[in-house]
Amino acid sequence: MDDKSRRDFLRGGWKLGGALLIGAAGYTGYEALRPLASGAGGAKITVGKTSSFATDTNTYVSAGRMYIVNANDYLFALSQKCPHLGCHVPYCESSGRFECPCHGSIYDLAGEYITGPAPRGMDRYEVTLEGDNVVVDTSVLKAGPARGAKTFLTPPKGPSCIGKA
Amino acid sequence: MVEIDPNKLEPGRTSVDHGLTARIKRSDPWRSAFRHAQIDTPRGRALQSFSNVFLHVYPVKIPKRVLNLRYSLRLGFIAAVLFGILLVTGIYLMFVYTPSVGSAYGDMQNLKTGVGFGQLIRNVHRWSAHLMVLVVALHLVRVFYAGAYKKPREFNWVIGVMLLLITLGFSFTGYLLPWDQLAYWAVTVGTNLVHYVPLVGGRLQDLLIGGPQVGQNTLLRFYALHVAVLPMLLALMLTVHIWRVRKDGFAVERTSVGTFSEAATERPAGAAPAAESMALAAPELYGGRVRLLGVVDRESITEAARPVDDTVFTWPHLLVRHVVVALGTAAVVLGLAVLFSAPLRGLANPNLTPEPAKAPWYFAGLQELLSRFDPLVAGILLPGGAVLVLLLLPYIDRNPDTRASHRKVAIALFSLLLAIAVILTVIGTFFRGPGWQFIAPWTHSYIEF
Ligand code: HEM
Ligand code: FES
Repeated sequence: MDDKSRRDFLRGGWKLGGALLIGAAGYTGYEALRPLASGAGGAKITVGKTSSFATDTNTYVSAGRMYIVNANDYLFALSQKCPHLGCHVPYCESSGRFECPCHGSIYDLAGEYITGPAPRGMDRYEVTLEGDNVVVDTSVLKAGPARGAKTFLTPPKGPSCIGKA
Repeated sequence: MVEIDPNKLEPGRTSVDHGLTARIKRSDPWRSAFRHAQIDTPRGRALQSFSNVFLHVYPVKIPKRVLNLRYSLRLGFIAAVLFGILLVTGIYLMFVYTPSVGSAYGDMQNLKTGVGFGQLIRNVHRWSAHLMVLVVALHLVRVFYAGAYKKPREFNWVIGVMLLLITLGFSFTGYLLPWDQLAYWAVTVGTNLVHYVPLVGGRLQDLLIGGPQVGQNTLLRFYALHVAVLPMLLALMLTVHIWRVRKDGFAVERTSVGTFSEAATERPAGAAPAAESMALAAPELYGGRVRLLGVVDRESITEAARPVDDTVFTWPHLLVRHVVVALGTAAVVLGLAVLFSAPLRGLANPNLTPEPAKAPWYFAGLQELLSRFDPLVAGILLPGGAVLVLLLLPYIDRNPDTRASHRKVAIALFSLLLAIAVILTVIGTFFRGPGWQFIAPWTHSYIEF
């Protein structure tokens, strides 16, 4: 092996070694930070009998961090997490809507987008009926309806909790 | 009777002081640590710098104008002092604080009720952190208007922008640690923003918070970032930053050309008649390359050509000013800490977003944007773009001139950006209340710190 190729080999070699080291450090970092798959969340929750969800009401279910909503006799399980930036969206009794205090997004009772910076309506879990029981599958969170969907839109019952019209 | 080396005596002193301290200071052990006496002569002042490793961050001599407060406003130095204060108070806090969802909040309360000066330490840490963000930002603005990011200092500007980002990282990670409502929801909103990064957003958010929502994993990794990763990064970058300031020389001098690289060739009337006449005699030969010491390569001229001695010794002239500024900074922070306590809201509650949920002032401009535009635009593209422009600024603005009248466009554009940032921040901080509704700041104030 002549001197030049030996030198070239070493030159390339230490660079490769360095790259491998950085790669290994990066991967180790990724492994350390990667969230472990958690067993929690994803269970099927029986939230109650159909009769306990009267028309145009909502019920907070803390076990699933969600609202069970009966809007015009359709049942929805709405995640409490604002699809904008994740604040907890409280229900405003006076207006009958979900109103986010963080940046002012407002959703109707069915979680459909009305106004504010949120990209879509409130995210939902799948609701099924097993006999008389309302069962929510919390393993899959489905993205809320697009902004334009206004199937359930009704005028506000009264003044907004966060001062918006 | 011991032989005394007359060199060990201060100038003008003929007799030997036999007092105890004087003797100790002459002793071999003392001299092994402090190699020479403080002698108030030029030689003695230079020796101070030569024999002290810490003083090597300074040049031995500096142009007189560096002493002028107007030159730098001392902002970079104040930022470094604040970092020092944060380091010390942060370590105190580490002795008391456990990064666990179960105990973090209690530790905060315990600081107040159970630890002597605990609350004060926390206050100092908190207010220094806020001031540091402010001062670093002002430092950047000052450097821009002085044009001090121009050749050869381009890369130091880039490092400076990174230092600002690291400082913001400190604030963001530190903000979560008290685990109160303020902390929890500010970080929830901030980390959800990451979700909107194209392609890798979801993954990135997972790595940042380590679970489906902000929780124990988030607290632990923010703590590790806050007390280990970021301090090391900042210390590293700060070292390079300061070293480069030192090597590039102070960006104070101006010539008719208005560039820094030629700066030191400025010279008062009467200097260098020889060079002058050489240049006049044979302009084609020497023109533009003639300096005090004759014909030298343009680049190597800077040190050699400083004509008359307009410099002073760093020790004590600059040092004493720095000590005064450091003490002043400490006094301000301590004053704030005595007068105002760091906020602590209720224990973090993932099921209840407080009303209003506002970001601390330096992110309030961002929050204002977020309330108006799509999160991808307001939270990722606009701030990301602004940071990118800042990072690349010295390579975009190639105009070497540092005089304001010759860089009107750059100044106008930067001032516009700055004005937008300030206005957004002011609106977000003072004019927004519950539900992010417009409020008049004189009726209610919802500023978060
Ligand atoms: C390297 C030195 C530092 C260490 C060891 C450190 C350590 C700590 C610790 C243990 C806490 C938790 C206690 C508490 O919340 O009061 C904390 C909080 C915090 N830190 Fe730091 N820190 C350092 C530097 C910084 C810097 C440079 C900044 C910002 C520019 C910063 C900003 C904050 C903030 C905003 C909090 C929350 C303060 C509070 O709630 O009182 N820290 N830090
Ligand atoms: S988090 Fe609900 S509007 Fe932004």
